[in-house]
Amino acid sequence: MKKLLVASLIVFLSGCSSVTGPKMTMSWPDTPPDLKTACPDLNQVDASTTKLSDALNVITVNYSQYYICKDRVDNWIDWYNTQQKIFNSVK
Amino acid sequence: MFSWLLEQVLGNLPTWLWPTIAGGSAVVYFLAHIIGNFPNFKPYALFIKPVAFVSILGSVFMFGGAGVTDILQAQIKEQEAKIAVAQQASSDANTNIQTKIVTKTKVIHDTQVVYQEKIKEVEKKIDADCKIDPEAITILNGAAKNPLGATK
Repeated sequence: MKKLLVASLIVFLSGCSSVTGPKMTMSWPDTPPDLKTACPDLNQVDASTTKLSDALNVITVNYSQYYICKDRVDNWIDWYNTQQKIFNSVK
Repeated sequence: MFSWLLEQVLGNLPTWLWPTIAGGSAVVYFLAHIIGNFPNFKPYALFIKPVAFVSILGSVFMFGGAGVTDILQAQIKEQEAKIAVAQQASSDANTNIQTKIVTKTKVIHDTQVVYQEKIKEVEKKIDADCKIDPEAITILNGAAKNPLGATK
């Protein structure tokens, strides 16, 4: 009887410890709104113009647009890598 | 609903209660064993002993459960703290990137304005010296067109 009691106590105590802990994970963060904007198409020069200054203006705007878009893509990569690192740190 | 209520009640009971009940039941078990030697009390002892035995097992089981729950609660708290730190870091990273975007966009825009001003300064001179053939504009616009179609 005593042996049965001791065995039961051991089984009952160790039986509970086989329960696994809860899995808590962090939710993936929202992307900053500026990164969600699509890059616009390049501007077109007015087909009727013959002025070099008009063409240069449009080209200048297009260059700026390219650099803004490039910066957005670079920031996307930077944002993703940073968030991935943070996300993996709590796994 | 019932399981939630049960969880709340059992979860709020102190851990020390279970070994106390187990100990008390063990005492009752041995007392029942002793009084079982007296013929007058033997029927009571026969009833009390299995009840005490089940009570010992039940409370040991609950003690084990409470121990595991304490460990899990500690793990949850630790994980919650880690998540809170990570969420703060994530939020800070978002703010930093947002600030970087605004600053860099301003620099790019300002540079554009500077060059537009420069064009304005020499506008008359370059327009007088050079007339663009419409064919050149067509080629330039064709090259600027997205070959994959318009952006959605």
